[in-house]
Amino acid sequence: MSLLVANGLTQRFGREPALVSVDLVLDAGEHMAVLGENGAGKTTLLRILATAARPSAGRLEILGLDAFRERRRLRRRIGYVAHALGLYPALSALENLEFFCDLHGVDRSRAGAALETVGLSGSEQRPAATLSRGMQQRLAIARAIVHDPRLLVLDEPDASLGSDAADLLAAIMHDRTAVLATHDHALANRLCPRTLVLRNGRSVGTATRLRVVR
Amino acid sequence: MNGLRVALAVARKDLRSEWRTRELIPALAQFIVLALVIANFGFQIDSRSAPMIAPGVLWLALVFAGLVAFGRAFAAEREQASLEAMMLTPASPAAIFTGKAIAAAALLIVCEAVMLPALTLFFGTPLNAQVVVAVLLATVGMTVLGCLFAAMAARVRARELLLPLLTLPLWIPFIIAGGQAVQAAMGLQANWDEGIGLLIDFDILFVVLTSLAARFVLDD
Amino acid sequence: MSARRALGRLGRSTVRLTSAPGTNFQKAAVGAVALMLLAGVAIFVYAPTDYLQGVVQKIFYLHVSSAIAAYGCFAVVLLGGIRYLWVESLTADRLARAGALVGVIFTTVTLVMGMLWAKPIWGTYWTWDARLTSTLVLWIIYAGYLMVRRLAEPGRQAARFAAVVGIFGFIDVPIVQFSVTWWRTVHPGPVIVNDALPPQMLGTFVFTMLCTLVLAGVMVAIRYRIEALQDAAELATEPARVLSARGDTEPEAIR
Repeated sequence: MSLLVANGLTQRFGREPALVSVDLVLDAGEHMAVLGENGAGKTTLLRILATAARPSAGRLEILGLDAFRERRRLRRRIGYVAHALGLYPALSALENLEFFCDLHGVDRSRAGAALETVGLSGSEQRPAATLSRGMQQRLAIARAIVHDPRLLVLDEPDASLGSDAADLLAAIMHDRTAVLATHDHALANRLCPRTLVLRNGRSVGTATRLRVVR
Repeated sequence: MNGLRVALAVARKDLRSEWRTRELIPALAQFIVLALVIANFGFQIDSRSAPMIAPGVLWLALVFAGLVAFGRAFAAEREQASLEAMMLTPASPAAIFTGKAIAAAALLIVCEAVMLPALTLFFGTPLNAQVVVAVLLATVGMTVLGCLFAAMAARVRARELLLPLLTLPLWIPFIIAGGQAVQAAMGLQANWDEGIGLLIDFDILFVVLTSLAARFVLDD
Repeated sequence: MSARRALGRLGRSTVRLTSAPGTNFQKAAVGAVALMLLAGVAIFVYAPTDYLQGVVQKIFYLHVSSAIAAYGCFAVVLLGGIRYLWVESLTADRLARAGALVGVIFTTVTLVMGMLWAKPIWGTYWTWDARLTSTLVLWIIYAGYLMVRRLAEPGRQAARFAAVVGIFGFIDVPIVQFSVTWWRTVHPGPVIVNDALPPQMLGTFVFTMLCTLVLAGVMVAIRYRIEALQDAAELATEPARVLSARGDTEPEAIR
């Protein structure tokens, strides 16, 4: 059974269609990259896959469950890194993570482990506002894995990361199913065997090891 | 995940953030004192009329401070992103809402701790346990309603206009009942028992209703 | 959507409704208006003139009927809202939309009639008595309902938020009315006196109320149909076009 089955996902904002009839199937452990220009609908699609938004039309099943009706159950299993990080600036990195451990109902010790995975152990007491954008991004990534999700939905997580972005992302995506939106085609090719390309809200094809020539 | 633990965690997080930045409380406290000073110029106040005008000034200041405080609790763009991150956990929307309401109420109560003594200072009204009880009971109901509609207004255009428009009609019963209770506590001709009884009834009703409504407003 | 486009659409929908020969809506509308005229006749010819208040008292028939019709409409909004939250029924939401608009119209009529009545009787257009105050609050609440509908993201979000506002509003009105009445027992003020009505007046009142309810029902039905037509027009699939005007920003991640 596939981990994620999306059928005819459509999203309309008012009369503007942002996503038109996108189909997608992901098996467990697969990594897929979503490519496209700005405004093509990547963020819209990822928000739907992370159950952060409901599509205007279409069906989505994750782990065999209807994504809307069972969204509370599914959110345990999904980790999402959004465009807007949504961290708490006055709280330290560790406090940010421990708060989410509480919300997820997992042990607080996981916070420290997650920080180590993303390489922020030295900065755990620093208020999130004092962290650089790249470090904040790492913190957001740590938050997405602290509850050990099965599905990772990452919206341009590499935007501010440094040269070790690929290694970090490979490490967290290991053994998990992942959907990754990015502008970096090289990164996408390195990390994700499958690619979905969006243009004007429509899927113009999925491919294996797609090499997009500019 | 225990709803109460979640609510307390959310409240603790909000209060800790506010404590570290200390942005909202000083601003609200200054606002309240300013409101009292302006009331002095706006109304005909002398030592005779002051005790009669004071309860009205109390509610005016409280209402405006409340609107600002609750609007802030949900409005910031950053706050919306954080709220969404919280919703993407198994924590129930009602628990998250309760946590935010607890934090907002705590902030408002701190402002009341500034306002009541200031009222006594400027208007000569008595400050006793009964006044405090009446104001606290009204605060509970006003907070849950203010937070619910602030959460709604934050997701929608023209939010500064929408929040008072939606919230004030629902606050009227609290101001009426609370007004009576406060007036009675301040020694004016009014009904304490019934006022407090009504406040408690309204509190229970709206705490239950807002908890039920929270998931429709916070979640998509 | 621009005002001109909205008006154009409204106009087209209305023309479609009324131009089809002998449509049911056309007949119903004519019937309802005829009933109201009949009620008017009853008010001015059949019902006796009040001894104390004179002709002005005749406003009462329409004023109270209007208020009852408004409450009826808001009950429709309440039920539609509850049903929408429960099963996401689009028809329930449409009914709520229709009910809210018609309800606000009737509330406005109630308020205006109340003020026209107050002036000759008490010499002032407004008084903070329980009924006038709660009618004003009612108006404000449902004006807020219509605003939320307009300002929220059209579709699911608008329907959900409006349903919550409608439910809270409906519960709030009797509470406000009760609170103001309670407050008035401590601070007595002018009261609308409703003496026992002689049978002719009572009969006229019941008849007027029924006619008004029929009118309200017809208006809600017509508005429902208009909303249905507008919804259908919104959903019509458009041919794919290149979204080049979007600019270089992603759709806002946070709404």
